[in-house]
Amino acid sequence: MNERKYEQYDLIIIGGGPAGLTAAIYSSRAGFKTCIIESGIVGGEAASTDLIENYPGFPDGISGMRLTENIANQAKKFGVEIITDRVVKIKEDLTSQDDIYKIINTSSGQIKAKAIIIAVGTKPKLLNIPGEKEYKGHGVSYCATCDGFFYKDKKIAVIGCGNSGIQEGLFLLRFVKQIEFVEFLPKPTAEKVLLDKIKKYENVNFNLNSSLLSIEGNGKSVTHIKIKNNKTGKIKEIKISGVFIYVGLKPNTEFLEGFVQSDKDGYVIIDQNQKTNVQGVFAAGDATIDTVKQITTAVGSGARAAINAGHYIENMKF
Amino acid sequence: MSNQPPKVIVFTSPYCSWCKRVKSYLHQSRIRFTEVDVTKNSSAARDIVRRTGQQGVPVTLVNNRPVIGFDRAKLDRLLGIKV
Repeated sequence: MNERKYEQYDLIIIGGGPAGLTAAIYSSRAGFKTCIIESGIVGGEAASTDLIENYPGFPDGISGMRLTENIANQAKKFGVEIITDRVVKIKEDLTSQDDIYKIINTSSGQIKAKAIIIAVGTKPKLLNIPGEKEYKGHGVSYCATCDGFFYKDKKIAVIGCGNSGIQEGLFLLRFVKQIEFVEFLPKPTAEKVLLDKIKKYENVNFNLNSSLLSIEGNGKSVTHIKIKNNKTGKIKEIKISGVFIYVGLKPNTEFLEGFVQSDKDGYVIIDQNQKTNVQGVFAAGDATIDTVKQITTAVGSGARAAINAGHYIENMKF
Repeated sequence: MSNQPPKVIVFTSPYCSWCKRVKSYLHQSRIRFTEVDVTKNSSAARDIVRRTGQQGVPVTLVNNRPVIGFDRAKLDRLLGIKV
């Protein structure tokens, strides 16, 4: 295999969402040779969000794509390098006598860095119910901004009434004829401001206390879902053309297993300075144990991780 | 591979971040392509569903062979992009 040759860096940031990009701004502006490794989209999950209304400085709201593009451009201005690649493993450099470098193995090469910030974010949780996998892309979606238009004038279901489910539902209402929301809990958990907006629509219906049992179709596309009312035990079939699933998130930390400490769900354990249990390895953003998962808090934690990583690099002995 | 440049069409929507990723990867790899915004072209949206069954974008056609989403390995293979 031809391995791509990468340089050595002061700081490698794994993940190019708001936390990673902000860390990159601070680190490259402070003069550290900095590189972001991103396997998917620069901007992370935030880039797929239609409208962000609670990021300071944008009184009319801003699209996730625009906001994260702006942050990325700001990072590039200070000289950060962005590599599209997937990290498969991190280890200490045992060949180095003073053990100062970390080795990052990617799918196409190897990179060395004095410090690392893990800012890998999260991905949508799957429900693992019959029909979900079979009809993915053929009626089952996790991305309203990618797939919403294909359901123009159709009836769809949105699973999950947290902030993501309601926010994306509001976006989908630009196209669809009707939305059946399905929520496991007795009431929606989204913020009041979002619920007030969605309640103004007459073409939405809430199925609370309800679990999605299966997604069914004709072999080509989705035709209906089966839900169960958890209070009455009654099972209901709803005819729909598409299902958008927003039932929570899980961290993209599988590749870190055995390298840094994480909690039972895979979220990286950090202290108040964003330090992990491994020297020179920091973590920021949604993949950490911080229970508040917001773009603003991700940005703050990225800055804190970069400043502390900078102190660590400066205090290293060569 | 023939010397003829491949015919590449990328079906997108304006809000879709994965579409942007596909376009920027093709730009970066110096591949010329035509973009079709499905939100302005309903028949193109229907055409994608008919050809691929896929109810979403991005979809890239490389010499009529579909690539669903941002599947970098498949794009590399069909376009002869060397990492």
